[in-house]
Amino acid sequence: MSNDQRQAWFARVMESGLENDIFAPGDVLAHATPDVLASHLPPELLSKVLAASLAAGSMTPERVLETVTPDLLAKHLPHEVLWQCIAAAAARAGVSKTVGS
Amino acid sequence: MHRGCGSARRRQQNGGIVNLKGFFVATLQSALDLGIAVPDDVLRHVTPDVLAANLPRPLWARLLTACVGAARVDAQLVVETIGVPNLCEHVPAQIIWGCIEEIGLRSLAGGVAMATSGSSSLARSPSAASAASSSRPIPLATPPPPEPRASTAPPATVGPSIPAPVTASTDVEVDSVRSGRLPPGGRFRPSSTGIGRLAANNSARRPQVQATPPSPPADTLSRAKRTQTDADFEPETYVGNKDDWKNALAVEDEQLVDWAASDETVSGGGDELSRKR
Repeated sequence: MSNDQRQAWFARVMESGLENDIFAPGDVLAHATPDVLASHLPPELLSKVLAASLAAGSMTPERVLETVTPDLLAKHLPHEVLWQCIAAAAARAGVSKTVGS
Repeated sequence: MHRGCGSARRRQQNGGIVNLKGFFVATLQSALDLGIAVPDDVLRHVTPDVLAANLPRPLWARLLTACVGAARVDAQLVVETIGVPNLCEHVPAQIIWGCIEEIGLRSLAGGVAMATSGSSSLARSPSAASAASSSRPIPLATPPPPEPRASTAPPATVGPSIPAPVTASTDVEVDSVRSGRLPPGGRFRPSSTGIGRLAANNSARRPQVQATPPSPPADTLSRAKRTQTDADFEPETYVGNKDDWKNALAVEDEQLVDWAASDETVSGGGDELSRKR
């Protein structure tokens, strides 16, 4: 399994989770905290996030994820972070007893 | 701080907005498509017992039909036949999640998808599902050694050894031209019992027993004789024995008649002749 495949899969899982309301953008940012984002997002992406928030007048999780799409999340963030988000959502849905193992 | 901790559950409780199965389908399907997971990973959790307990009968019928017609039944066939959407629709979510969880944890650990070759998850015990949550690959049973196959040499011939065809029989061709029919070789595949071919390659023949013509049964002869008598009387057509006709024609001297001296014969014959006239 190459890193590209794993990255593509995590991107798809994150996208599907958001589409199917398994987790909300706020749930994603609960794990992809500002510290995580700041540590792993490249400067140009951080710049875009800030610019979009300045233009809208606020920085909401939805707006952050409009810029940092699932593909970019999977590309730049540690997959363990994304997995914790996914596993926590599964636990909330009642299909898993473990939370972010 | 986990701000959205209870939001998903609330949404689920408030009217089923959460599309958990859709999420499972996308996750599992993409894992299979991307090579993150293999069908064996699925069947390690979705065991035959799980399928038997949860899969509707029509899907079972489809699965059985596919398995019967397939040259090889493996996890890929099962997963592809049932389909990931159907699996996620009917199999309990906890089981599907167990599969996804294993895939995810293995992916984080940098593991590779387990190969499908040589493994038949259908024969695996359901207890294997309990060990599926670990990212460590489960050793699969080695397939049984292949059965000793018979040599590929052609089977021994039962019939007589007949040499390969050389030429078609000229007699057959002549007869075919006369009769206006195609020779058998033109209509059918070449026969291996051509007489002319045997004659042309006489040295290769094996000694054979002299064939005796079958004697006609008595019933057949008598029936043929009766029919000839009815249609066209020919008493000497059939001669059973060569000496019979000689015995039948043998005449003693005293049986000879002097026709010139016999009045009775002449007069009798004359009267009868005159009467006929």
